[in-house]
Amino acid sequence: MHDEDEPTLEERIRRLEEILGSLENDEHTLDEALALFEEGISHVRTSEALLDRAVLRVEELLDDEGGTRPLDGPGESS
Amino acid sequence: MSDDTLDLFAAEVSGTAPEGTTEGATDDATDGADHEASPVLTVTQVNRRVRRLLESRWGEIDVAGEVGGWTRHRSGHCYFGIKDESAQLDCVIFRDDARQLPIDPEVGMEIRVTGRLTLYEPQGRYQFVARRVVPLGDEGFFQLAFETLRLRLTEEGLIDPARRRPIPRVPRRVGVVTSTTGAALRDILKVIARRAPWTEVVVAGARVQGEGASREIARALERIDRVGDLDVVIVGRGGGSLEDLWAFNEEPVARAIAACSTPVISAVGHETDHTIADLVADLRAPTPSAAAEAAVPDGDAIAAYIQRARRELEGSLRRWVERREVLVDSAPHRLARSLERRLDPARQRVRSASQGMRFALRGALDRRRQELARGDRLEAVVRGRLERIRARLHRAAARLDALSPLATLERGFAVPVDAEGTILRRVEAFVPGSEFHLHLVDGRVRARVEAREPGE
Repeated sequence: MHDEDEPTLEERIRRLEEILGSLENDEHTLDEALALFEEGISHVRTSEALLDRAVLRVEELLDDEGGTRPLDGPGESS
Repeated sequence: MSDDTLDLFAAEVSGTAPEGTTEGATDDATDGADHEASPVLTVTQVNRRVRRLLESRWGEIDVAGEVGGWTRHRSGHCYFGIKDESAQLDCVIFRDDARQLPIDPEVGMEIRVTGRLTLYEPQGRYQFVARRVVPLGDEGFFQLAFETLRLRLTEEGLIDPARRRPIPRVPRRVGVVTSTTGAALRDILKVIARRAPWTEVVVAGARVQGEGASREIARALERIDRVGDLDVVIVGRGGGSLEDLWAFNEEPVARAIAACSTPVISAVGHETDHTIADLVADLRAPTPSAAAEAAVPDGDAIAAYIQRARRELEGSLRRWVERREVLVDSAPHRLARSLERRLDPARQRVRSASQGMRFALRGALDRRRQELARGDRLEAVVRGRLERIRARLHRAAARLDALSPLATLERGFAVPVDAEGTILRRVEAFVPGSEFHLHLVDGRVRARVEAREPGE
């Protein structure tokens, strides 16, 4: 399931927009500017890796406790 | 005899065939026409004859009237009465026909019933068996039911554009509530797989038409919203008749959508009319495919955006450096200018002092011209002294120049300055092996040029 600490793709894209705006408009020290740049690049890399994941995952919800099984897959609970 | 059997069967009368009916069965064949020969009849015989009379005399008829009372029995049959100013008629509509009614008509409503008259033999009451019930006005029951629910939900504030939540641009997990065997699910999965295959999809199956579909959809919505860990939910089905889509016009679905903590996209396959589900949902899509398109972004567009972001990041950093270069380059000039302004009064004093000295010297010279053969030399000595003062001022200014870009130094820059106090701006200015100073914000360090490495 979802790791709460891991930013979602949407969060990464929003952060990228922030970083780009900030680098363009705000006063930063060299260290800050470099840190922003590196953070931005890391979002770019992670996002690209995520986009490359090519197989759609489909689960069917089985019960009220959130048990699922892959749809069209072997019928096992996860 | 055969008549009698048929009769019993059709009447659905349970219980015993009264004595004498077998013998008097021939009476039934003439259906009460032979009054002459009629002996004493049993109650059952009378009721049967009246029922047959009623049923054969009247075919299907339409009756208009006002609803006097409406009871839906556990069995699903509905018992009701219609009346006008002076009379009342008992009616029944059996389960299969009653199922077609989206709502129970309210007392006082003007309706038209279509059906047949019959007699309920066990009680000897005649009644109207309705096959169809429609409201008398321009609107059918579906429109009526739709409007009634729409009005109520609007009053409760559940149908309100201000309630609509934004659909996330890039959902991580998408929930789908629909029939697991329907074309709608297939269409949705196809679109998501094509546009955003990194997405996780959770499906909660529900029957989307027929009796109880609305509650089933509502339960699936509640469940998937609670345990699905979702960013957006699509609820819907493919196209169909108004009756097929009716579950999406019913209260349970509407309330379940409104109660969802996740934004909901409704996708009931019909292009024209809105359903109640559409009105309550955060976004209405005309078809399941369109809902999927609205739920997930186009992966190609995202990839292109991320590529562009990478280029822009690099450009931003380059521009950041360039801006600072301009600042560093111009700092000494700006400081020198401000220094000069500050030095102006001093210069003025020096200048007037030198002028005064010159006058004084001139006077002295004039006075001593005779005495001093080489008075010009003395003036040269004075000039020399003035030049030295100017040179000292110049050096002071240069040193201040070097210290000047305080704001820039604060940000981590260092200014290299040679022994003469000149800023070393270019690689060529550094003499290998020579010493120079790096001016930092809080002092300076002595450094030596190891090697020059000109950039490209």
